[in-house]
Amino acid sequence: MNEHEQVLSEEELDFLREMMNIGAGNAATAFRQMLQCKVEVVIPDVAVLSPQEAIYTLGDPSLPVTCAKMSTLGDVLGDLFLIIEDEQKARLTHLVEQAVGLPDRKAPLADYKVKNLPSSLQSLKLEDLSVFSEISNILAGVYLTAIHDFCKLNIYHSVPTLGTDMIQALLDESITVLSNGIQPIILVKNEFAVVETQVVTFLLMFPSKESLQRLINSIKDARRKYGFE
Amino acid sequence: MGEGVVTMAPYVISSLGLGSCVVVALYDTRQKIGGLAHVMLPSSSHFQVGHKPYQRADKAIATLLEGLLMRRASRQDIVAKLVGGARMFSYEDDRSLGIGQQNVLSIKDILRREQIPLIGEDVGGHHGRSVEFHLDSGKLIVRSIGREERIL
Repeated sequence: MNEHEQVLSEEELDFLREMMNIGAGNAATAFRQMLQCKVEVVIPDVAVLSPQEAIYTLGDPSLPVTCAKMSTLGDVLGDLFLIIEDEQKARLTHLVEQAVGLPDRKAPLADYKVKNLPSSLQSLKLEDLSVFSEISNILAGVYLTAIHDFCKLNIYHSVPTLGTDMIQALLDESITVLSNGIQPIILVKNEFAVVETQVVTFLLMFPSKESLQRLINSIKDARRKYGFE
Repeated sequence: MGEGVVTMAPYVISSLGLGSCVVVALYDTRQKIGGLAHVMLPSSSHFQVGHKPYQRADKAIATLLEGLLMRRASRQDIVAKLVGGARMFSYEDDRSLGIGQQNVLSIKDILRREQIPLIGEDVGGHHGRSVEFHLDSGKLIVRSIGREERIL
C-alpha cells in the first residue's frame, strides 16, 4: 500500500463497506427467490487496492478462474468482473442444480452435502455458465444500486461476457487500459451460504481515472450528508 | 506486470498469467545472457502510463537491450522470442485491433528496426499463457490451461 492509501480514509472505507453490506442483503433476497431456499449472506469484505494486490488476495496470477466481465455505463465508466475459483464454481453449480436443476437430480437441500462432488462438475459446462451469468447480474445489480441509493450516481452494467482462464490473463487488459497498471480498484468479497455450503465470489470494479475520482468524491459527499464528520 | 529482469545462466525467469500483455525475451545465444520484459502497452505515445521502464514496448526493448549489453552480451548474438498478446474477450461487432495484437505488432516493428532476429513466437488467440525462460538453454516454456505445453 502506498500512494492509493489516501484515496479513502478508514472512515470513508467503512461507509463504502456499509453500502456494500446493504447490497449484499438485497442479494440474499434475490438468491432466495432464485434458489427457493434460505440463503445466508456474510458481511462482504471491501478493499480499495492496486490490481496486483487484488490478484494476490485471490491467489497467484496464474490461478484458474471463471469470470463474468461487464462494462459499467452512466456516471461511472469502467469494467466490472465477477470472479469465482474452480472449486467454488463446482459447489455453486451443484447447489443450483440441487435447487432448480433437472427433476431427477432434484433433492431436498436439507440433505445436501458438499463433501463428495462429482468430478464432472469440475469441468466447465454450459449450465454452469448460465448460472454464473445470472449470479453476476444479481451481484453487479445490487452493489450498483446500493451505490446509487447513497451516492446518487447512476451506474448501469452491460450483459456479462464469460471467460475461463488464468486470473491475470483475464484482467490484464482492464488493468492496463483503465487502471494504468497502478490505479486502485475496488474489491468486494461476497460470501453466501445455503445450509452448510459456502460459496465465495469476488467482485472487482475497475473505474476509469475520471470515474474513480467522481466515485470517491461522491462517497465523501454522501458520508457528510448522512451526518458523519 | 510491467516488470523486467536481465540475468544469465543458470537462472530461470518466469512470468505468469499473460493475457493481452506480451513477454519479450532477448537472449545472447553464445554467452547465455538474457532478459525478459512483461510489456503492457504498444508505445509511450499511446496512453499515459506511469514510469516503469518495462511497461511500454519501445522503452522495454531499449531497457532490455541496454541491460544485456551492460552484462557484455554481444549485439550480433542477440535473438528475440515473443509470447502473449491474446484477446481474452471477443465481441461480435468489434473489428478493431485488440491491445494484445497492437502490442505484438509494435514489438515486431521495433525488433525489425533494431535488427534483432525474431526466432520464436506464440502469440494471439484467446487464451492466457505463463512463461518460463531457461537461461542455460535459451528455451521458453509456454503453459496454458487445457493445452499442451509449448517450447520455443
